[in-house]
Amino acid sequence: MFFFTIRRLISSVVVLLASSMLVFALAVASFDPLAPYRTRQPAPSPEFFASLRTQLHLDQPFFVRYFTWLGGVLTGDFGQSNGQTPVGPILMQRLGVTARMVVAAMILAVLLAIIVGVLTAVRQYKPEDYFFTFITYVLIALPTFWFAALLKEFVAIQFNQVVGKTVLYTVGEQSAGINLYGTSSEIFYDRLGHLVLPTISLAMLSFAAWSRFQRASMLDVLGSDYIRLARAKGLRRGNVLVRHGLRNALIPLTTIVALNVGLIMGGAVITETVFVWHGMGEYLLMSIQRSDLYPLLGWMMVAAFFIITFNLIADLLYAVLDPRIRLT
Amino acid sequence: MTTAEKPTLAKVPQEEAKQEVEREFTIKARSQREQIMRRFVRNKQAMGGLLLFAIILLVAWIGPLFYPFGFNELDGTARSVPPGSNGHILGTEGLGRDLLAQIMRGIQRSTLIILIAVALSLVVGMTVGLLAGYYGKWVDNVLMRLVDLILTLPTLVVLIVVASNFTQARTAIGIAIILGAFGWLDLSRILRSQILGLREREFIEAAHALGASDRRVMFKHLIPNMLGSIIVWATLAAATTILLEASLTYLGFGVANDTSLGKLVSDGVSAAQTRPWLFYFPGIMLLVIALCINLIGDGIRDAFDPSNKRVRA
Repeated sequence: MFFFTIRRLISSVVVLLASSMLVFALAVASFDPLAPYRTRQPAPSPEFFASLRTQLHLDQPFFVRYFTWLGGVLTGDFGQSNGQTPVGPILMQRLGVTARMVVAAMILAVLLAIIVGVLTAVRQYKPEDYFFTFITYVLIALPTFWFAALLKEFVAIQFNQVVGKTVLYTVGEQSAGINLYGTSSEIFYDRLGHLVLPTISLAMLSFAAWSRFQRASMLDVLGSDYIRLARAKGLRRGNVLVRHGLRNALIPLTTIVALNVGLIMGGAVITETVFVWHGMGEYLLMSIQRSDLYPLLGWMMVAAFFIITFNLIADLLYAVLDPRIRLT
Repeated sequence: MTTAEKPTLAKVPQEEAKQEVEREFTIKARSQREQIMRRFVRNKQAMGGLLLFAIILLVAWIGPLFYPFGFNELDGTARSVPPGSNGHILGTEGLGRDLLAQIMRGIQRSTLIILIAVALSLVVGMTVGLLAGYYGKWVDNVLMRLVDLILTLPTLVVLIVVASNFTQARTAIGIAIILGAFGWLDLSRILRSQILGLREREFIEAAHALGASDRRVMFKHLIPNMLGSIIVWATLAAATTILLEASLTYLGFGVANDTSLGKLVSDGVSAAQTRPWLFYFPGIMLLVIALCINLIGDGIRDAFDPSNKRVRA
């Protein structure tokens, strides 16, 4: 297991490095950081462009620029945006905001997927199964932003009317300026109120597909011989379902969850836009609109880092849960 | 059993056949294709989805011929009117364009997006999958590592960055090409892993022994054997494409100077409170279409592979 872990760790680092090259090539091919200045009136002087080119390393060859940037990233310096502000701190601050939504959504989606997946598998072809199957099919076919808007425009407003005060917020990740006057518990509840709807809309996206997956893997396990044996030995049904069935049926889900991290990060961009969060998604869209090279590079590196890390975790978890994997 | 016109399994000589008249059932030979068709036709959800989808497409393509309003016609007397007024069945949007006419046009353009994007993904994905799976070794390594690498980035974000380069290509066709250019990754993986299994089978070895060229083995033996997965993938990819197009358009990197279902849905979001018809009708239409396609796709998969009723991951 130790060598397996080391091997996977090293290969992940290699993939991350290769990925950084791809990110850099993609971003450099896509963006001209000088574009916003070219259309300025009056036109900036050629010296201005020249100094900017030097400052942004545009006058150097591709690989020199790449390694300069990579060296910076490795030491925690993500470069500067067009507005000459360092990217790193902003990125980290926004990552914290987005992470709230993503982590909450993933936990919610995994829990719901397991519950619904197991329920629909155990009660296969019963009314509950048909009901949830229908729901998941609808959720899979829904555009995320439409569903989010539906929650925002209708559920939230109705709910707040029933309760009589604003509990579910539809704009922003926290009330403006609450850091200045709120106590820590006030800030916590305020953030929680802002978190509920975005989390639900982001979670539903993955929950639907995951619960179908969990249902299939549970059905697979329930049909296997060792379950029949366990029942034949006289173990109680609930015991068999959880300790023999669910434990094995959870293994494939770990891989799918890890592989879908990219999907969730993409979904978070959409959800953030709908709910006007000032997180990673907004930062990404802003930097693309301004052809801002280094914020985009930083964004994609963070995304690649998380996706690769989750893949690594899934690999390792898989090896822990299923010892046969370690041998190969 | 109504099997009179079809041949029976064994072509038995006349006399023996007479003896067999006593049998109360006949066995019918069905080709692989017939079996698959039968299983699909018997799948109620899939057939329902297919029927509904066919009706929607028919209305979207033939409807405009009989509908009094054009999709780009500005009705100055009826701006933002609710459904049913002034003859606008589903109402109009802010410029006085008829929503139903726009939805029909949107479906047409979205179908076009699906066709182009999926066709492009199929060509690229099949090529990459075949090359990687069939030739193996360094070809496989290079291609599959490339796929792995692209998959380390969120697909939506890659699409956004690429689309931001082509501000002039914000038409249905332009977006379809961008979607197709990045839609093939999972297909190539699926096909590669299938070929790795098929490659070792006897019939491929036999084809090689008979002197079949690589191209012949690929097109006459490998692709027909993977047709099931390819069709299933294409169907499910169609649903993904239409949703991805909507998301891309919503974020401002999709269709702009054109109509598409995704465009209508994303335009409708800002009108959810004030003019709910603009929000609901396109959204529900998109939902229904994606749902139908998914039902058809699942039906096809179950038809090809009844023993293994897998669900989509």
